[in-house]
Amino acid sequence: MSPTLRNLPHRALLTVWLGLVILPYVWMLVTSLKDPRELYIFPVRYWPAHPTLAGFAQLFQSTPFPRYMLNSFVVATGTCVIALTAATAASYALSRLPMRGKRVLLFVFLATQLFPAILLVIPLFVIMRSLHLLNTYGSLILADAAFAVPFATWLMTGFFNALPRELDEAATIDGCGRLQAFRYVLLPLVAPGFAAAGTYIFLYSWNEFIYALTFTADTSARTIPVGLQTFMGEFIIRWDLLMAGGVITAVPVIVLFMVVQRELIAGLTAGAVKG
Amino acid sequence: MANDARGALLRPPASRARSDRALAYLLLAPACALLLGLIAYPLLRAVWLSVHDVRLLQLGTATYVGGAQYLASWADPAFWIAVRQTVIWTVGVVGAQLVFGMCGALLLNKPFRGRAFWRGVALIPWASSSVLVALMWLWLLDSNYGVLNDVLRRLGLLHTAFAWLSEPRTALPAVMLAAIWQGTPFFAVMLLAGLQAIPEDLYEAARIDGGNAWAAFRYVTLPLLRPTILITTMLRTMWVANYMDLTFVMTGGGPGVATLTVPLYAYFAAYKRLAIGAGAAVAMQLAVVLAGAVLIYMRLLGSVEAAE
Amino acid sequence: MIRSPWVRGIRPAVLCLALCVLLIAPAFSQAQAPTTVSYWLWLDDPTDPMFPALIKEFNDSHPGIRVVPQVIPLDQFHDKLVTAISAGSGPDASRFKDWWLGEFVQAGALEPLSPYVARWSGRNDVIANLWNTGRISPTGLIYMMPHQFITFYLYYRKDWFQQAGLQPPRTFDEFVAAAKRLTDPAHNRYGFGLRGGGGGQDQWLAFMVAGGARIVDALGHVVVNSPKAVAVNQWYIDLYRTQKVAPPSAPSDAYAQVLGAFEGGITAMFAHHVGSSVLVTDKLGATAVGVVPIPVADPKAPATMATMAGNMMLRGSKNKAAAWTFVSWLTERQAMDEWSRSRQGQLPVLTSLAASPSYQNNVFFKTSFDEAKYAITWPGLPGVGYVSAQLWQQLMQQALLGQISSQQMLDRIATALASK
Repeated sequence: MSPTLRNLPHRALLTVWLGLVILPYVWMLVTSLKDPRELYIFPVRYWPAHPTLAGFAQLFQSTPFPRYMLNSFVVATGTCVIALTAATAASYALSRLPMRGKRVLLFVFLATQLFPAILLVIPLFVIMRSLHLLNTYGSLILADAAFAVPFATWLMTGFFNALPRELDEAATIDGCGRLQAFRYVLLPLVAPGFAAAGTYIFLYSWNEFIYALTFTADTSARTIPVGLQTFMGEFIIRWDLLMAGGVITAVPVIVLFMVVQRELIAGLTAGAVKG
Repeated sequence: MANDARGALLRPPASRARSDRALAYLLLAPACALLLGLIAYPLLRAVWLSVHDVRLLQLGTATYVGGAQYLASWADPAFWIAVRQTVIWTVGVVGAQLVFGMCGALLLNKPFRGRAFWRGVALIPWASSSVLVALMWLWLLDSNYGVLNDVLRRLGLLHTAFAWLSEPRTALPAVMLAAIWQGTPFFAVMLLAGLQAIPEDLYEAARIDGGNAWAAFRYVTLPLLRPTILITTMLRTMWVANYMDLTFVMTGGGPGVATLTVPLYAYFAAYKRLAIGAGAAVAMQLAVVLAGAVLIYMRLLGSVEAAE
Repeated sequence: MIRSPWVRGIRPAVLCLALCVLLIAPAFSQAQAPTTVSYWLWLDDPTDPMFPALIKEFNDSHPGIRVVPQVIPLDQFHDKLVTAISAGSGPDASRFKDWWLGEFVQAGALEPLSPYVARWSGRNDVIANLWNTGRISPTGLIYMMPHQFITFYLYYRKDWFQQAGLQPPRTFDEFVAAAKRLTDPAHNRYGFGLRGGGGGQDQWLAFMVAGGARIVDALGHVVVNSPKAVAVNQWYIDLYRTQKVAPPSAPSDAYAQVLGAFEGGITAMFAHHVGSSVLVTDKLGATAVGVVPIPVADPKAPATMATMAGNMMLRGSKNKAAAWTFVSWLTERQAMDEWSRSRQGQLPVLTSLAASPSYQNNVFFKTSFDEAKYAITWPGLPGVGYVSAQLWQQLMQQALLGQISSQQMLDRIATALASK
């Protein structure tokens, strides 16, 4: 069998899978190019008669959307830094250091995820107010980080556990301290875990809605999900702005992940792990 | 911190173990501080609310009622409908996300041209906020202007406008479809990361033993991915069970109660009826059931770790 | 006084004291700074420049007050307000819907406005019937300042009616007859865009009261499950179930779907208010769209429903005087005119503005104002919030699907309305 032929099933399945993933988004993209008056036309038009970028232009000119994007970016990045640091430290300890009650601790971590956020928001609001963090990035970063840490910790613990202990021991024999072994030997090897956990944390924060709605008061800290909701009024839904906003929202995430995903490339670390 | 650790190695074993333990607590401190500082109190407050008759807007006046609000929920037929639908919703959505996510991870793991780009693109559903996903699927499923019905019409499978979200039989599957679409990339990325931890030589060994691709998947990939699968599935189960954004925007639990789930039931009680005590009691029951599920997962996970 | 001559030359300790006082001084000067009034609202179209301009106008003309607005999506408005107030926080004043009055008043969250209104010079210009939208029985106190209101009427396809030789319906019977004539499922055409999904309770109430049913009687007792109401409700349910003049998607259709079906030539009639007038005439052309008051069971007793987006003040506010200045200013003629003419505009609550040609010469506005005289709103009962936000939709959908009867639906609504 020629390589092309052998790859055929893979290509075909990949195309189907990716097609299912992006077609709804493509449809949103097409809709964002329609004049609002062209929305309700029966039967469906697969390409607008008069494609227009007016929705995008208005989104950037007469709404605070660029500011929402900046806010989302700052909050998601801040959350990522804090949550990833806390989770990595905790997972290293859970995987490598002696301590009692690990299982209980892991269970308690998870218990934080058992409850719908909407029912926790009032006491959290009181906490944020007493910390004077309302309507700041800080409130969103802290709340998002607190809710993202448990899963990130679990995930990272799994990745640390997958690395053989002989690696640390070899490093300590080589004269490294525990933290040096951590920094120079283990950390590079758990890179796929970093990419996965980092993506998770970033996107959790990027999409978080309830806290962003409750803790912010104006455009200075408001994030994209809340900003998009303001386009849905009492009697008017600005489909053009919503769809354009929806299309734009995914772009930075795609670009960011294209950079980060290098860590997910197979074989980069396989040799070291085998060693 | 670094000096302590380096010193620790040079000291005799007993004191080293002690300082290791100190280091463990030190490293756990930031994560624990976040959780204790921001989540512990709200959680305990929710427990307290569930045994008190409290209304929103009047949190100051609360009467202790014990388990009365728990019992009251059991007396409501809609609650049991919500319980049943939450089970279908959670198992169906998580199961499908896992299967499709696994397919995605395996497909995206093989080298092909433009892989970095397509891996980023695969993240689109996950990078879209819930309200947008809900609106998008409302739009796709619209009985008149929806693409789905239009395609079915063109194929001659549909002759009148079919309203997917107005039919009790199809409403829940339709919302589940949106949820599956949204959450599949999460599984794909997590499993893709997990695949990297599998040494290539194990596959080589499988190949030498004459195994085909399925055998390699069955005897190499699956067992080694098991911890990642279990952790991801466990977490996802908790989120999906508590996830109500799509149902809220797409159907509001309807038509009638056809897509009502337990978290939505709790939310309606707390924020629409303003009976936050009753809402907390309902959410608490879901939390207890999920905690039981977590314990089972942890046992499974424990057996995996012990086997290694 | 700190810098008065005798201070100079005294011992350093006193200088230190003076320094301390100087550091605190800014706190005193803040007392002369304008009073800040935080005001929450939702906007239909956040790109509309009207509202920021209005705020600037107020702040410029009232140097002692600075209004700081916060725009919140309508879907989350109620929840966010409830969360903030429950946590002991919240704005000084806020835009508000009549649906929520009962529960907020019962919780003691709102400031009674009656004493302020009594001293307000503009009160006589407000359309008399509309004060009732913010009045709570049995005290009769007013808690919401009327601002923008709407009454429900019927949009119909003028061209289709002409082709079929039909007159626009004035009674229930004419309405059903016309709807049946214009229904043709094979061509995806239906007589009436019934709204069984989110927000449909207002249309439903319009037909209920037009049929002679009432939510409460003159004494304030809940009568929504009276035999009369059960019959009218059955009639409404049957539009979908037995007459089949509504599209199959009716049980879950919310505003976007109902509007879309009318715009796309799928339905011949739908009940809404001025909020849709520009959209449908833009799309279908002015000659194709007609408007009549909600058809009634008995032409001698016309009724429809009105709903108010007004303004309230929170009891916990520390800046009530300033908040009132702003809230009343919004209902005064100049600001009202600007608001009503904008994209956010509904009907102005002032008689003097309603009489102006720009409203009287517009058939949509004129029909609405004509109906305002007899329009009925949701009563100020605590249960209205729950019924309108969730319970109605659930029960109506179950009734449309044949899972519960008209009587069962209204009994449950009555129970929810009558509970504390």
